[in-house]
Amino acid sequence: MKKTGFVYDERYLLHDTGAAHPESPERLIAIYNHLVKTGMLDKLVKIEAEPANKRWIESVHNIHYITKFEEACIYGLTEFEHPDNAICRETSDVAYLAVGGVLKAIDLVMSGEIDRAFCAIRPPGHHAEVSAPMGFCYFNNVAIGARYLQRNHGIKRVAIIDFDVHHGNGTQHIFDNDPTVLYYSIHEHPSFAYPGTGRDFEEGIGEGDGFTKNSPVLPGRGDEEYRRLMMQDLVPAIKKFEPEFILLSAGFDAHIDDMMSGTNLTTDGYDFVTQVILNLVNRYTNGKVVSVLEGGYNLEMLPVLVENHIKMLCELRSF
Amino acid sequence: MFVSERMATNLITVGPDLTIFEAKKLMGEKSIRHLPVVDSKGKLLGIISDRDMRDAMPSTLLKKPDYEITLGKIGGFPVSDIMTSKPLTIYPYYTLQDTLLVMQKKKVGALPVVDEEGYLKGILSTRDLLRAFVNVLNIDEPGTLLCIVVKDQPGQMKKIVDIISEENISLGSVLVTRYWEEDKRAIFPYLLTNNVIGVKKKLIDLGFELLDPLKWYLDQLPKVSE
Repeated sequence: MKKTGFVYDERYLLHDTGAAHPESPERLIAIYNHLVKTGMLDKLVKIEAEPANKRWIESVHNIHYITKFEEACIYGLTEFEHPDNAICRETSDVAYLAVGGVLKAIDLVMSGEIDRAFCAIRPPGHHAEVSAPMGFCYFNNVAIGARYLQRNHGIKRVAIIDFDVHHGNGTQHIFDNDPTVLYYSIHEHPSFAYPGTGRDFEEGIGEGDGFTKNSPVLPGRGDEEYRRLMMQDLVPAIKKFEPEFILLSAGFDAHIDDMMSGTNLTTDGYDFVTQVILNLVNRYTNGKVVSVLEGGYNLEMLPVLVENHIKMLCELRSF
Repeated sequence: MFVSERMATNLITVGPDLTIFEAKKLMGEKSIRHLPVVDSKGKLLGIISDRDMRDAMPSTLLKKPDYEITLGKIGGFPVSDIMTSKPLTIYPYYTLQDTLLVMQKKKVGALPVVDEEGYLKGILSTRDLLRAFVNVLNIDEPGTLLCIVVKDQPGQMKKIVDIISEENISLGSVLVTRYWEEDKRAIFPYLLTNNVIGVKKKLIDLGFELLDPLKWYLDQLPKVSE
């Protein structure tokens, strides 16, 4: 069994998005309670978050944007630049803790105390741009994690694999010009799904040309399409890039029962997705991976899918 | 939706006496495909497209010396000899819809825009039109497309728009198309949000059918007889 860390902090629940917002504290409560109930939590190394040092947030985000975000929370605003981005007074503190959780997981994996980790954090991050919040995201947790790996741990090549049903526009744009970070995303086709980017001809810019790969999935399609696209697009991209570390933007909203999307990935399909990734992790990064929660809004399915995903990280389950 | 808002106005124009050789160089340097020809007061005389220019050039199949000789012979002619005189024009107060239909019908790639005295005011290319439609559809902004099948009867759109307003969602655009069943229409609202769960639930509760777009695609394919 792989020694797997689990980042969770009760303070993540303090980010209050108001009634009827799908990105709710109940998402994490459901995950946590399910892991307790199934006994899975006892098999994990529990990691409590610390707020990230601002210098790491600044490694990705514009300093004026960070200030604007903090001020919006201090003023007690209920949304930040768009109704999607619901905030409360605690949101910016929680966002620092979310990034901090990812960085701590990275530290523990790099020091060898744990083999890999899952971060049950919120708010999510992959839509957040350098200077703009988007789609429930404020700080780009995974992008900051990639910069932290490079600047604090001397890792040269980081691959980010994003299987949230929405394209991670923020992550892609942050690393568009950067040949040291490979961004791969599989998501519902942008003509139908938020945020309308991530077409297959978006492949990076300038020096970063060829270090972005997108696999759009038409609505109504599911397991077979995911299998085909990941084998055709993800596997060769990772093989060519030879990453030293892999970060995951793990979204569970592509599931057939998640109303946020039109894709039909099944529970088994999710197992396949995790398995393909873990095969790559074992082959290229010596087993090192940190998986970071993004979306997933069906409160019955999300805990089950996360449990399955974590079990596979632990090597207690395989496809 | 008027031509005046979308036409290019930073125009590169030439006089009728400019040589073909110089005009070709200019089009290459500025990477433009349409070059309006005007008189000294700015009245439109004609237009040269990259195709007019290509037609005037010697064949690339000629051997190099032959090519150069022919090129030398024709390069000095004035552009007025190869331009399309009295080209099809539009007015700044034309709508983009008019222009779309004109371009489709007349199969042109760009239209000079003139005032009623014939002075050149701008030029509108298919590229400008494409940009305009990307803009009106709002598809360069983040959002989600819903696909809804409704009965072809009045009042349906109101119900949908009401639900979208109740959910406090901005509407990017709406497309309405024919559906394969005659008494139904497909409505595609583009919502400028990530958060579509609430709106989808309300639509279903009110009895609307959310369309699986892929099913629509498959049903449009020609049927294979068995």
